[in-house]
Amino acid sequence: MKHRKLAAPLACVAVASGLLAAVSLSAQQQTQPVTGDAARGKPLFSDTFNCYACHGFDAQSGERRLVPLNYTQEGFITFVQNSPLPNMPAFPDASPQQLADIYAYIRTIPADAPALREVPLLNDILARKTRAAAE
Amino acid sequence: MTKQVDSTSTGSVDRREFLKGAAAGAAGAAGAIVSGTASSQQAPANARPAVTRPTEADARADFVPPEPRVDARFIRHPGSDYMVDVLKALDFDYVAVNPGSAFEGLHESIINHGGNRKPEILTVLHEEAGAAMAHGYAKAAGKPMMTLMHGTVGLLHAGMGLFHAWCDRVPVFAIVGQPRNPTSVINRPHSAQDMGSIARDFMKMDDEPTNLDVFANIAMRAYTIGMTPPRGPTLLVIDSELQEAAIPDPSKLTIPRLSMPSMPQGDSAAVKEAARLLATAERPLIRTGKLARTSAGWDRLLELAELLQAPVDVGGYGSWQDFPSWHALYGSGGADYRPDVILGLEINDMTPSVRQLRAAGGKTISICSEYLSQGHNIHDFGNYSEVDVAIAADGEATLPSLIEEIRKQSTGNATRLRTARGAQIAAAHKAIRESEIDAARYGWNSSPVSVPRMVAELGRQIQNDDWAIVSGHQFTGQWQRRLLNHDKFYRYNGDSGGFGIGYDTPASVGGALAHREHGRLPIAIVGDGDFNFVGAGALWTAAHHKIPLLVIVHNNRAYHAEVMLVQRTASRRGRGNDMVDIGNVIRDPAPDYAKIAQGYGIYAEGPIADPTALGPALERALARVRAGEPALLDVVSQPRGPT
Repeated sequence: MKHRKLAAPLACVAVASGLLAAVSLSAQQQTQPVTGDAARGKPLFSDTFNCYACHGFDAQSGERRLVPLNYTQEGFITFVQNSPLPNMPAFPDASPQQLADIYAYIRTIPADAPALREVPLLNDILARKTRAAAE
Repeated sequence: MTKQVDSTSTGSVDRREFLKGAAAGAAGAAGAIVSGTASSQQAPANARPAVTRPTEADARADFVPPEPRVDARFIRHPGSDYMVDVLKALDFDYVAVNPGSAFEGLHESIINHGGNRKPEILTVLHEEAGAAMAHGYAKAAGKPMMTLMHGTVGLLHAGMGLFHAWCDRVPVFAIVGQPRNPTSVINRPHSAQDMGSIARDFMKMDDEPTNLDVFANIAMRAYTIGMTPPRGPTLLVIDSELQEAAIPDPSKLTIPRLSMPSMPQGDSAAVKEAARLLATAERPLIRTGKLARTSAGWDRLLELAELLQAPVDVGGYGSWQDFPSWHALYGSGGADYRPDVILGLEINDMTPSVRQLRAAGGKTISICSEYLSQGHNIHDFGNYSEVDVAIAADGEATLPSLIEEIRKQSTGNATRLRTARGAQIAAAHKAIRESEIDAARYGWNSSPVSVPRMVAELGRQIQNDDWAIVSGHQFTGQWQRRLLNHDKFYRYNGDSGGFGIGYDTPASVGGALAHREHGRLPIAIVGDGDFNFVGAGALWTAAHHKIPLLVIVHNNRAYHAEVMLVQRTASRRGRGNDMVDIGNVIRDPAPDYAKIAQGYGIYAEGPIADPTALGPALERALARVRAGEPALLDVVSQPRGPT
């Protein structure tokens, strides 16, 4: 019992210290601007962090679409490190530099989704679908 | 001796004479060996007479059928012949067989006594594939297929397929052989004190008949129980000795007549109350799970939805295609639609609906055959739900009386109110349809191929065919329903039900077999992970039995759901994500599925990673399928579709 009573406060201290350290580290990191490198970002996207598994190899054929990316670099880094979404894990270990590299890589992916009017096949499906619904 | 068989000495010699002479010659030759060279020097007076034409009496004697061979090993009327006669009364068309000595008697009787017709043997290369084929077949054909398995080992192999059929509430008529008194070291492990217990957790019933009378009784019971909602697989354990032994007195055995019970309908008072709630609802919503067992269920649901002008949410994974996917009422009514009454049809867990309506004071109705389930070990029966009207009955069978009651209870201005409601719902669904199609353009030109592009290209090729998707959509999301007009009951055959991998490819072969007689064009989109279980061998069955089927391998080269799950866990633990593909990806080397299919005698192309190459490849492969053969395309794809 003695050990158990002692263990709980120690654990709290450890957690609190860890949080403080994390917060201060995060604050420190965010105060230092980083410049992303798209070439480094590609393998980070595909292999290191396996972003492709949800977002697609092209960052736009999965859930959620990343192209076009509407975040600022800083916003992107903060979101990825602290994601509150149930289906999107937080990546607290990803460094700002790594995330800036991924950000730079995603920005290089052309938002080449054609306009709907440029895809006859999809237009045809939509037209047939609309007709079917009206019947 | 040579002189005696010389045909020139006696004129022409017919076949019978020739054989007679040959026998005589052989006998003489043997004599020569015994007596040595001296025999050849003996006088012609000692030689056998020359060959002559037979007399009429000789001919008659030769044409008399030989007496039956009588010895202890010869069985004229084996028990398995009677079993086949009983099974024929159940009108099975096919039986999936991977051979095993525990049912060799039944196997032989199906072939020789039954003439390999009704049921016809479908040769499968794995018992799991056989069970999955029977599962897919039953959904598409509306009747069960048989599957035969060897003792213990065959049943264990089939277990996963039977489990899926259980979870999907689909009948499969399974028979496992039982070497009752095994004498060999091989067959001892194939015998069991309680064979049925191996699969009992996912069988609606199992039994082991002790004699042929009981076999007939149990076979009929297994069929009727399996076909009565909630449906499920049933298992007969058949002693090998019962198959092999002679029928003591065939005249005492009769074939029972199949007497199918009517399907359970809802209590009339409860149906009346449900109808009252629905007839007076301002915003009713219909949710379905595994409702339409037959096309009649599809027709009645359409009638109900249009009568009420209520949206129909057919659910996601595990649901069947109960309602046309391009219908104006297909959906949940839109984001602003707040239902006040939810009708659940064959939904085994109404808890989300109850929660949704409780706060707003809405009412929930459940018509579900799951209430009639006796409970099993597998936790697939859902939560207890506090619905307002719970009706223990088959949804499809209850719909006619429900519709009739709603018509009776509908007031004069109901039609006008419902028409206005339907128009609002249609408008909301139209906006959703447009946004879904808009989402499909993202990644349209990407390589690997996006899931919507894959489905849309397929749709372009088959829009003038009478097609049927015989695989599930667990790995393609809702894109099949969005981009292909599921306007008929048989357009979509549903998922595995149990969500284990390995169902899609063999079940698609079974579904395609059911569609063959109707001349439909069956198509399966299967994950590469699924294909790698027992899918490749199932292709051989399709080739061997000439079952037309297009298999598109949705090849994203990983178990991507698991990549994400391990990634999430690693992130929670702060351990980095650079290792999470270990154990989850199928690369280095990437399997070549086209070559695998070609090895099984299937026309195949791939890997196809260029989206512009997909259309022409589909055209070539579908030409093969339309001509009556299976084909495969290996499409390297994005992990999942955009939402």
